[in-house]
Amino acid sequence: MSLTYDNVSFIYPGSTAGVFDIALDIARGELVAVIGASGSGKSTILKLLAGFMQPDAGRILVEGQDVGPLAPEDRRLGVVFQNYALFPHMRLWENITYPLKVRGIRRAERRARAQEMLARVGMEGRGDDWPTAISGGQQQRVALARALIFEPRGLLLDEPLSALDAGLRTSMRDEIRRVQRAAGIATLLVTHDQEEALSIADRIVVMHDGRIIQTGTPQELYETPVNAQVAAFVGQSNLWPGTVEQTGRVRTPIGTLACPTEGYAPGAAVTVLVRPERILPAEPEQPPRVNDFRGTVVADRYLGPVRRIDLSVDGGLIRLETHARGAVGRVSIPAEAVRLLPGADAAGTRS
Amino acid sequence: MNSRVSNRMLAAFATPGAALIGLFFLLPVGAVLSGAFAEDGGAFARLAADPVFWNGLRGTLILGTAAPLFSLVVGVGVALALARFKPGLRTATLIAISLPLTFSGLIVAYGFILLLGRAGFVTLLLAKAGFDPSVVGAFIYSPLGLGLAYSYYLIPRVVLIVLPAIGNFDRAQLSAARSLGAGRFGAFIDVMLPQIMPSLVAAFCLTAAVAIGAYGTALALVGTQVNILPLVLYSKISETGSDFPAAAAASLVLVAICVAVIAVGEAFGSRRRSGR
Repeated sequence: MSLTYDNVSFIYPGSTAGVFDIALDIARGELVAVIGASGSGKSTILKLLAGFMQPDAGRILVEGQDVGPLAPEDRRLGVVFQNYALFPHMRLWENITYPLKVRGIRRAERRARAQEMLARVGMEGRGDDWPTAISGGQQQRVALARALIFEPRGLLLDEPLSALDAGLRTSMRDEIRRVQRAAGIATLLVTHDQEEALSIADRIVVMHDGRIIQTGTPQELYETPVNAQVAAFVGQSNLWPGTVEQTGRVRTPIGTLACPTEGYAPGAAVTVLVRPERILPAEPEQPPRVNDFRGTVVADRYLGPVRRIDLSVDGGLIRLETHARGAVGRVSIPAEAVRLLPGADAAGTRS
Repeated sequence: MNSRVSNRMLAAFATPGAALIGLFFLLPVGAVLSGAFAEDGGAFARLAADPVFWNGLRGTLILGTAAPLFSLVVGVGVALALARFKPGLRTATLIAISLPLTFSGLIVAYGFILLLGRAGFVTLLLAKAGFDPSVVGAFIYSPLGLGLAYSYYLIPRVVLIVLPAIGNFDRAQLSAARSLGAGRFGAFIDVMLPQIMPSLVAAFCLTAAVAIGAYGTALALVGTQVNILPLVLYSKISETGSDFPAAAAASLVLVAICVAVIAVGEAFGSRRRSGR
């Protein structure tokens, strides 16, 4: 394993906040995204790895070496900061080759390496520009080039896309992925944007209150979240508190749902998860199917490929996503679309 | 109501200010100029032949470089610390730091005599610890001591000038530099120093001009023992052996040095501002 957190804990002095028992391995070439709400500790674990903070317990290993005693400059990890932290008094090629300069490499060689690196991030011929004269997306590319030029042992990306506008963000995701793949480098990406994490990461770590609550592939997290918090944080979701009435039936505020109940005894408190795209609109005169609900539309958001609709039914709200263009007043929830999660805590419901 | 004001009215508003500048700036400068050149440059010749003048010039240049440099080093350190303070504490500290600026040079000199003079509080305290009061007490009357007294009101000026530049500096750049392989000191030299340099130069030039021109503190502390240009000037207009044309010439030299230092600072600052 290339980057390893071995039961790392850190508590901010004078508080109870921090990160606790972080255990995580990132293989060479793998991109792991850490997501969580602000204050969940995701930036803290990046700072611990970069060496800007020291863990109170546990070890951090880079390619098997305990980097605890090493200062940030001795860890050989490339970091891209949220606002890129380019040096405004240096030209782009000087920015990119700063790591080579501190390692004593001569100017002529640095210039050549800069050109090579600029080409790798699609910025050929821009080496003599100043950082203030280029766009946010270009600054991002330069920051990435600078973090990779000294062949670091790991790449750390701290909210790398949050300063970009929405359109650029999507294309830069692919760009980061491409460059990271080409470099074959273990990468830790910290983001609050779950969509970004889903689209770019090999694996995702979900953090809450300083602890890792689930680690898995994007699909695992989306399809089989371990609890309501993960379900609420990753993708859109309907979350209802429920009680298992009998095998195959769960009582919820919007009514009783027919669904698989394996693993839960009658009487067990559960959280019911249904992803909005799994809910099917039904024609008004169609014979009733399983889990059939009628209601009134309280919000109808047209997003182009899909509509995101909030349907008010007796006892609550059903959120659904549909390609249907017509009126929606009746829906059915397929039994296999229902997933039960432990506990009745649906407080994390998000729209 | 007509918002346009007649030129006559504007002229009337400008009159008091213009009169003030004329009476208390242009007229004296004109008098100094005409006085200095009254004898076809004879005053300058006399000055050039006077070893006291050259000694004074040398003293002024040394004091005008050493005291601002020392103040710059201390002031930047203070500003670096202040930039990390919480806003409330920072404001309170800034007020305390700015206090010396409100004192006249004479008061500062008096304060230093009370503290470090031959019968000063610190001198007597150190005497109890076995330090010779005649040595300790003499320090404040030496050129070095004078530099220290100057720094007392130069350091606040440095702090006030460099703090905005240091406060606005994006510290993530230092973290970035370190992650890229630079040590703590290297990151400061490579990344932070070049970016705050214009404000350092400005602070140095301004404090140098103040140090070169100041004379109240010097006069009160050392009389005319230490040879600096403002005191040479003073001796030429005081009663014994007054030589007004030579004094005028000396003050022109003094003004020229101050203007040159300020101009260098401005030139450096604007070159930095107007694109590299």
